[in-house]
Amino acid sequence: MLLRLLIANLKMIARDRQALFWALVFPLIFVVVFGLFRLDQPPTLHIGIVDHAQDSLSRALVQNLGQIGTFDTKEWEDEAKARQDVKDGKLDYLLIFPEGMAARMTESPPATITLVYDRTIITSAAVVAAIQRFLDQVNMNLAHAPSLLALDEQGVQSRQLSYFDFLLPGFVGMGVMTFSIIGVASTMALYREKKILRRILATPLPVRTFFAAHVLAQLFLSLAQAAIILAAGILLFGGTVVGNYLYIALLVLLGNLAFLNLGFLVGAIAKTVNAANGLGNAVTVPMMFFSGVFFPTEELPKVLAVAVRYLPLSPMLKALRGVALEARPFWDFPQELAILGAWIVVTSFLAARFFHFDR
Amino acid sequence: MTDVITVDKLAKSFGPVAAVRGVSFSVRQGEVFGILGPNGAGKTTTMECIEGLQKPTSGHTLILGIDTHREPEKVKERIGVQLQASAYFDHLTLREILELFGSFYSRSLLSDELLSKVSLQEKANTTVARLSGGQKQRFTIAATLVNDPEVVFLDEPTTGLDPQARRSLWEFIQSIHEEGRTVVLTTHYMEEAEFLCQRVAIMDQGQVVALDTPTNLVRSLPVPYQVKVIAQSDALGRGLEALDSVKAVRRAEDGTFYLSSSDATHTLPALMEWAHQTGTRLEYLEVLPANLEDVFLSLTGRELRD
Repeated sequence: MLLRLLIANLKMIARDRQALFWALVFPLIFVVVFGLFRLDQPPTLHIGIVDHAQDSLSRALVQNLGQIGTFDTKEWEDEAKARQDVKDGKLDYLLIFPEGMAARMTESPPATITLVYDRTIITSAAVVAAIQRFLDQVNMNLAHAPSLLALDEQGVQSRQLSYFDFLLPGFVGMGVMTFSIIGVASTMALYREKKILRRILATPLPVRTFFAAHVLAQLFLSLAQAAIILAAGILLFGGTVVGNYLYIALLVLLGNLAFLNLGFLVGAIAKTVNAANGLGNAVTVPMMFFSGVFFPTEELPKVLAVAVRYLPLSPMLKALRGVALEARPFWDFPQELAILGAWIVVTSFLAARFFHFDR
Repeated sequence: MTDVITVDKLAKSFGPVAAVRGVSFSVRQGEVFGILGPNGAGKTTTMECIEGLQKPTSGHTLILGIDTHREPEKVKERIGVQLQASAYFDHLTLREILELFGSFYSRSLLSDELLSKVSLQEKANTTVARLSGGQKQRFTIAATLVNDPEVVFLDEPTTGLDPQARRSLWEFIQSIHEEGRTVVLTTHYMEEAEFLCQRVAIMDQGQVVALDTPTNLVRSLPVPYQVKVIAQSDALGRGLEALDSVKAVRRAEDGTFYLSSSDATHTLPALMEWAHQTGTRLEYLEVLPANLEDVFLSLTGRELRD
């Protein structure tokens, strides 16, 4: 009885285009978009140079700048035209070397190099700093000053992780969440609207069997969904997952229990399918942004950052990232597991309290 | 004949609204029992209380000697329920739906057998969405038979169907009856009750106002006949009330007169005599037996459908 109902549920969800959209298309859109536009790789910076000096120093600077990987340098003859191009947004940065640079090297005040740039470019602060640092280095070399301090850059992670790697577990959590909450809520609202729940109630099928089959089908599909999202991210876009896949699966199931309960709860409150979809979105969209799918929640204002830690998606994502990106075991996250557990208990109680078959 | 359903002082309130107010009746083995009444009379609530879908505020309901509300699972095993305007899963085929519902019961009929009963065997692999209104309704009734039930409940089985589809559904319901099953149906079509039911309970405002065979219900009327008269005359209408055995005269919108008569054998000669004397040429004359609609009108003072 349970098995037959489980199979029927799997069939129905697989044949339901709307469910498939939330299950796969929606999260995969994000995987593809963020996979194609690698936001973490700094784009090539186009730097124009007007060299009025044309002496040994200026030529050396031009040559050295050109060797920096992310700088694409090009020399300009006409300073006025170059400045206009920066204004028009055709050129990102413009360096102007004054006349007689080498000759004024030992004089005071020293030669001034001008940097013209468009303030609206969001990366400009970093680029200005990079150029400043480059010039400092040159200054010190020219003055033959000894390097007193050296910086040894050591990333916290042993492996090189990209922004995409950070996003991928987020998309898994987001996909499971939207699929479960919106999928279950709209299905239950539909069943009620069409009196299917009532029709089932007229058979000897125990109500708990009906729900068990639905929950099992959703759990099973969420694993398949997570596998597909991860596979797409890893195989198509070179995402990295270093953790234990069994732990990832466990976290997906655990998080999904809370989401499924929320789905039943939304389905209990919403009277129509449209209301269920709307309310489902109202629950999932804020979580998508505030639970750290796209950016670490530490960057939020402090009060908000603390509050959003208790949304059900937040602990799931934190633990998922810890397992997937840092190869930690899932029991490394007792606080996160406790928050998730509390959500599951509370939402189970609420769903059981408010979900009615025919009202 | 033994009773398969006993309803004893059933009452159901929704907050301050009393939907069913102390209803008692019993349904006999193998009969088609109709509950006739206008919308809001309490037909569906009564039926759903008997089925165990709604908990009565007070009173008892027994099916096959089992208390519906004490042992609901036992009862559900032996009954088939069709709900008003209910649908089935969108993404399963007819065969899959029947097999799924069959799996809910300890015994079930073959889905192909059920589908051939309602001439839908060719649609076995399509979804409900692709069926016509009549086919859909036939399928939902076939689905109530999946557990080979002894008692079948149909809630307004033909509402919204065209006359031809309704007629074909009537024949199907009759075949269910001929298989020896007891059928309980609600309807607000008096033709349906007259065609299908051995006995009819007429409900109004949460109470059973009459219960008998359709024939006895009509016969119990003080005016069991209607004389339909079409004639062109200014005189018509005057003096008709005074004719022998005529109790009431109603003029329909199209100008046709309906004379409610306690005895047509007296009224007709009087009408002829009256026509002769007033020089009225009668264009059409028909004696109709009264129907359940008239019974309802006479019991409640209101039309069945308004």
